Amino acid sequence: MTTSGSVATSRPSRASTLSGNAANATGRWVDDRLGSSNFVRRSLNKVFPDHWSFMLGEIALYSFIILLLSGTYLAFFYTPSLAEVVYDGSFTPLVGVEMSEAYESTLNIAFDVRGGLIMRQIHHWAALLFVVSIVVHLMRVFFTGAFRKPRELNWVIGVLLLILAILEGFAGYSLPDDLLSGTGLRIAWSIMLAVPVVGTWVAFLFFGAEYPGTEFLDRLYIAHVFIVPLILLGLITAHMMMIWYQKHTQFAGPGRTEENVVGSRLYPAYAAKAGGFFFLVFAVLAAMGGLFQINPVWLYGPYNPSQVTAGSQPDWYVGWLDGATRLMPGWEVSGLGHTLAINVIVPAVVIPGLIFTLMLAYPWLEQRFTGDRDFHHILDRPRDAPVRTAIGAMSLSFYLVLWISGGNDVIASIFDISVNHTTYAGRIALLLLPPVVYVITKRICIGLQESDKELVHHGIESGTIRRLPSGEFVEETVPLPVPYRLALNKVEPSEPGHGNKELASGEPVPHGAPSDGGHGDMTQWVDTEPKSKKGFLRDKSKRRAAERPEPTRAELEGSGQQ
Amino acid sequence: MTPPPEDPKGTSADASGSIRDRLQAPPQPPTDAETSGSGLTDAAFQQTDSAAALAARGRSDQQESSSAGTVASDEQMHPRKEDLDPHEAKIAERKVASLFLLSFLAVLGFCVWYLVGEQEFGQPNNGLFTPILGVLLALALGGVGAGAVLWAKLLMVDEEAVQERHPFGSPDDERAATAEAIQKGLDDANIKRRPLLLGTLAVGAGSLALLPLPFALGMGRWQHKERELETTAWTEGMRLYRSNGQPVRLGDLQVGAVESVFPDVPHPQLRADSPVLLIRMRPEEFTPAPGHEGYDYQGHIAYSSICTHLGCPVKLYEQRTHHLLCPCHQSTFDASRGAEVIFGPAARRLPQLAISVDEDGYFVANGDFDEPIGPSYWERA
Repeated sequence: MTTSGSVATSRPSRASTLSGNAANATGRWVDDRLGSSNFVRRSLNKVFPDHWSFMLGEIALYSFIILLLSGTYLAFFYTPSLAEVVYDGSFTPLVGVEMSEAYESTLNIAFDVRGGLIMRQIHHWAALLFVVSIVVHLMRVFFTGAFRKPRELNWVIGVLLLILAILEGFAGYSLPDDLLSGTGLRIAWSIMLAVPVVGTWVAFLFFGAEYPGTEFLDRLYIAHVFIVPLILLGLITAHMMMIWYQKHTQFAGPGRTEENVVGSRLYPAYAAKAGGFFFLVFAVLAAMGGLFQINPVWLYGPYNPSQVTAGSQPDWYVGWLDGATRLMPGWEVSGLGHTLAINVIVPAVVIPGLIFTLMLAYPWLEQRFTGDRDFHHILDRPRDAPVRTAIGAMSLSFYLVLWISGGNDVIASIFDISVNHTTYAGRIALLLLPPVVYVITKRICIGLQESDKELVHHGIESGTIRRLPSGEFVEETVPLPVPYRLALNKVEPSEPGHGNKELASGEPVPHGAPSDGGHGDMTQWVDTEPKSKKGFLRDKSKRRAAERPEPTRAELEGSGQQ
Repeated sequence: MTPPPEDPKGTSADASGSIRDRLQAPPQPPTDAETSGSGLTDAAFQQTDSAAALAARGRSDQQESSSAGTVASDEQMHPRKEDLDPHEAKIAERKVASLFLLSFLAVLGFCVWYLVGEQEFGQPNNGLFTPILGVLLALALGGVGAGAVLWAKLLMVDEEAVQERHPFGSPDDERAATAEAIQKGLDDANIKRRPLLLGTLAVGAGSLALLPLPFALGMGRWQHKERELETTAWTEGMRLYRSNGQPVRLGDLQVGAVESVFPDVPHPQLRADSPVLLIRMRPEEFTPAPGHEGYDYQGHIAYSSICTHLGCPVKLYEQRTHHLLCPCHQSTFDASRGAEVIFGPAARRLPQLAISVDEDGYFVANGDFDEPIGPSYWERA
């Protein structure tokens, strides 16, 4: 019976033998009961590809853990009650002011609980970071095509996680019952009311009475600390298990194929890095929680439906919806005893609904339009798929216009221009910018492909000018090293009929190879001539499965080894 | 059991051990490393060592072979100075150790500061208490984090390994067998021959989905909702109270002045549908909305201050232009023209409260608003 602790240390000393025995004993004890040796060994040896952008999802995961830890602490002190009390705490400016117990307990966390303020600020910063990292991670997954088969389901889970994270964040910053959060809740109530047919039913379902009522805080609280986190936890677990089972995607490179994963084993170095990274994320959030003030609710005062502060802004991830409602013209139709608030449901219900639906459906939409239903474990670089990248950039520009418009009053006051003008500018930009961005992005991608083609075909400019017998001057080029060739070559799978004839035969072409080519020198790292001159303007819709196998890579490797 | 013919971790175990072992047998010089460094021989990256080992033990595990053949170690291609120079390795070791020690000290400091640090209660950030807690906490967590990362980066063997992906999707015979098993279950249950059971099951089990509905409706107090939305706390003859509890008298407001007023109910601030904005302007400046003639009283006009867009309080009044601005989404209303919308996403003017003055000279409401205040909803006529 082998156990996981059986690795021989190269220098047995008394101490290491003892610890080795202890590890052996523990391993045997566990294995006798769980039979876990095989699982443990396989897990420890699991290979993870390395790239800086793969850490973005890690940040989201770690933020979530930090949110659970800090949120639990806050729950010990927070009271989700709208009962009116008169404040009598340490913050003198508000002493004697009537407020809800929820707001009072939030003030107490900030001023009277030792370490309460830093915990609340860590919690808030972690929430902001959680959504940021989800969004950036999602962009990475989108632009590299990591959502393609077989990972469509994990993409769906990811989008659901984003939606839930936004809802969870909104519920969280609505809990203190300060002036800002109450205003946000009232807007949420009003949006629910505007939904056709079922609007009032939905609104009363959540609030229990006409806004504000006396029950919404309990419901919000149980949603924020139990229901939504539970779903988040379940979805995150499924997300991780699927990554584990399907193995991570990887970028193209030497030795990397659709059939393998090249990277680090989980144990020990990768685990040490990932574990260390968790503490680094936590450290950054701790420093921010201690040093940078966030959501100072004591400055806003208790909620009062008749008051509002000018320039009030929601947390960043709600800003785009705020901007959408600001840009929408005031259209409303009524008749037959009913009112349809187009000015509310379009920006606050239809647009987000449409955006999230398109996001959820995107993997299948792309399959539908490209006809590409293959497995993909090698990532695209954004330029490899100009249409997808252009769609992504277009969507981002749409989002950013909305997001910036969410602060158009702030922009107007900073630059001393009329709010009306910023609104008009936002409306125009929202319609004009996305198509322009689409076209420009696609052009840039194609241009980058062209420059890749130059590199692969003609190599790096050496600066050496040679004069031909005919008198012509030419610059000599150094062929690109193989790893780069392999990485770049992924963008041009061979396309029959489009390639150079002699190259299409698959024979390495000596032209351009250093004369002393052979073992033991740089020629191992350089290749001679491209295997194909495949069009960089390749239309995604024309790409077919038949083009995808990588004969070119195999050939490259073969020729590189000669 | 026979011992495995090949250690699954053989490659790493060979190269691992302590950093000193590897330094005693220094890695091959860079030039050599480069020749083998690309590591692209088929044998190198197609061999799955432990797959072989498992196969030898007779339990080949196609699905998740722990296989990891080494392609090329990163440090063979780019040897770290810690790999080449024992002195550098020692320095790196000390760096990592001091980071771990830093954590220990910061934890001690955090505990001490938490217990004895002076928390200036009631001050923003509690004086220096919170910032210092933050710095110490960051050092405590960051020391361990940075130390672990540095250890992995500088001193751990981190070879590049290759793992085969297991094929996705089950083999066809597997799928067929599963489909067969499912079909057999259906046959055993006699579903085909008992359509009545299938149909009634669908009805019975499907109707269970309706069960939560009454509870959801109960949560919503649905029977009251429309009346609640149509009414506010204002009644005929109710005086207009300031937030400090004083009623407003005729003559209290100068021309151009504006006052938030509330109905005479307990906790008027919590009656979210009732806040009213009382504005005074010269009577000749005011043009009432059609049908709202006589709602004003000697140049005093009372509007609901709840925005008809999304319910924020419309509080910003520009005296010169009589514009009322909602700070949430910049809907702008013209107070001198019945609060009609002149800009922004709002679609309807602010409802106007009809007011007059009682025999004691105090402003009173003539009754409730004649339309629902605030944002639109489906049932609103």
